[in-house]
Amino acid sequence: MKRKALALATAVLCSQANVVNALEVGVILDAYHKSETTALGGRTEGFGSSHSELSLSQDVANFATAHMALVGEWNEQESDLQLEEAYLQSSALPGGLNVTAGRFLADIGYLNATHSHSDNFSERPLLYRAFLGGHYFDDGIGVSWLAPTDRYWRLSAGAFTGDEFGEEGSESSIGTWTLSTEFGDDIGNNASWQMGVSYLSNKTQTSGHHEDEEDHDDEHEEHDHEEHDHAGHAHGAEFQGEKLYLTDLVWKWAPQGNNRQQQVKLAAEYAYVDDIYGAEFDHYDGWYLSGVYQFDENWATGIRHGRVNLAEEHEHDGEHEWEASRLTETSVMLSWMPTHTQRLRLEYKHQDADHMEGTDNAITFHYQVGFGAHAAHSF
Amino acid sequence: MLRIASKIFALSLFALVNTAQALTIFTCEPEWAALSKELAPGAKVFSATHAYQDPHYIEARPSLISKIAKADLVICSGAGLESGWLPALQKRAANRKIVNGADGMLYLSQFIETIEKHETEFFSTKHVHPKGNPHFHLDPDRLSKLAVVISQRLQIIDSGSRLIYQQALAKWQIKWQQSLQQWKQQAAKLKGQPVVVQHTSFSYLINWIGMDAIADLEPKPGVPPTMAHAQSLIEEARQKQPVAILTNWYQNDRAARWLSDKTEIKHLNLPATVDLKGDINNLQRLFDHLLTQLQEAQ
Repeated sequence: MKRKALALATAVLCSQANVVNALEVGVILDAYHKSETTALGGRTEGFGSSHSELSLSQDVANFATAHMALVGEWNEQESDLQLEEAYLQSSALPGGLNVTAGRFLADIGYLNATHSHSDNFSERPLLYRAFLGGHYFDDGIGVSWLAPTDRYWRLSAGAFTGDEFGEEGSESSIGTWTLSTEFGDDIGNNASWQMGVSYLSNKTQTSGHHEDEEDHDDEHEEHDHEEHDHAGHAHGAEFQGEKLYLTDLVWKWAPQGNNRQQQVKLAAEYAYVDDIYGAEFDHYDGWYLSGVYQFDENWATGIRHGRVNLAEEHEHDGEHEWEASRLTETSVMLSWMPTHTQRLRLEYKHQDADHMEGTDNAITFHYQVGFGAHAAHSF
Repeated sequence: MLRIASKIFALSLFALVNTAQALTIFTCEPEWAALSKELAPGAKVFSATHAYQDPHYIEARPSLISKIAKADLVICSGAGLESGWLPALQKRAANRKIVNGADGMLYLSQFIETIEKHETEFFSTKHVHPKGNPHFHLDPDRLSKLAVVISQRLQIIDSGSRLIYQQALAKWQIKWQQSLQQWKQQAAKLKGQPVVVQHTSFSYLINWIGMDAIADLEPKPGVPPTMAHAQSLIEEARQKQPVAILTNWYQNDRAARWLSDKTEIKHLNLPATVDLKGDINNLQRLFDHLLTQLQEAQ
């Protein structure tokens, strides 16, 4: 018994000395040149940096992790520094539960909770830029639960202040709340999939379309101009509704599951925004499909095609009218990873629109390099 | 009434403890799965990777999350080998038994000395392991130590079956000692011989045998071989006449095959670990295979 206790004590000491409580510091530097500014956010024309990041991570004893990420953006018009993440997350509570509290990325959709430095394209898909401001993070609390089933099944829920969702703060104390679930499994030795459905309830505005309509319209026009100037820097979702539904499907293939050599990654997401704020219109929606083929250790190529169906305000014989607008975007990219921590990407983007301004075609050169510790990526 | 109920409860609890409960063991690499199967007879053992997968780079797949969520014990090499995916699995799985620091999370690198430790600077783009080479399962001596470490951990986690684990370890040790004698004889014939490698996958074996890795097809550790670099090795290879150019099953062996064609030095594509579904499904067989192949290449 004594011996056992001793062995246990040494084991615990050893593991604590080596694993726990090391502060992990990571830096991601992002630099790009884009030939033209394109519609609906994303990077602006010229040289800049869109998502450079300093992250700190620290295990708190064995029960939680503290994480912080400071994100910088700069381009020829402006620069901006923002705290995107600052949270405490439990390591494992009883019953497969975990709690996250602080500022963190909402656990909705496929891409939202992933860090954009691991994206395969230089900008987020249209639906993320239109409905979630690129990626939605906020102050709040989240709970996730892994079901004890053989097949992966996870549920998660979050409640947020909503202050980071729109351009302005939230009008209620719990501005948004989210609910999501995901499933996934392998298919044979070479492929695996994951599917998710999520919902976001947005109470940051109280009944948008009934606000002083005239004032609002004037503001909107001004706002429109600003939006084009600040196209690269759209914090907050531009197109909002009371309800946002998201569904995603991801399929990955690598011979023998050895994705160091080769991998095909297909992803599709669909978003539906209901009970729209600020526009007299029934609903918005959008989708994208993307395929990326990493054909050896250093090279990958991919294509993404997506669309958003929105509404644009027009003046017609002195009357303001809301009209369906549509934006389609196709991106083609080739990326080279000279080392595990660096990536150089060349991307061509083509936009097409009905009743929407600011569309263009653009070529982007994008370089990214990481230093220090780097959090493991989820699927 | 309550007393009877509690007695029944206590009895059923006792019955539960007494039936040697089958542990569920999740290993990051197949070598630890093979070893666990021998050291924990009756345990359910699952390996996250196999011999055809580079353990640095797998995805934190949904199926692995649900597997690790049910594990009583997770055994990994550590030293940063799994840092690209294991933390993501642990985070999603929310399994209290296997969080870092718990008895159920065993990083074997903590119990041995690793080789090839690198001083890393923060602003370095190289892919090196500051905690040393994590492929230490290819050293038969370190494996002897690690078998004891694993067995001890099994005895802590599942103390009811301590005797079973002790017996299994003793049995394994006898077999291992016998094999060691044979391997040492084979190694003696290979000692001092030059060899070309790709990455540091076989460093521990090469050191144990006493062979000499004269060149690495990787221009820098972790950076995939380039033709230009392979070209630069031709002269040296022709001069020193290495026994073989070594690659392993999960690597791209294009550069090795090319160099082999140019220099007529034999290219050996060897398993870097056990193949649980094939013939080389335990560590004994792995070393038998590796040493025989190297010897035949001479």
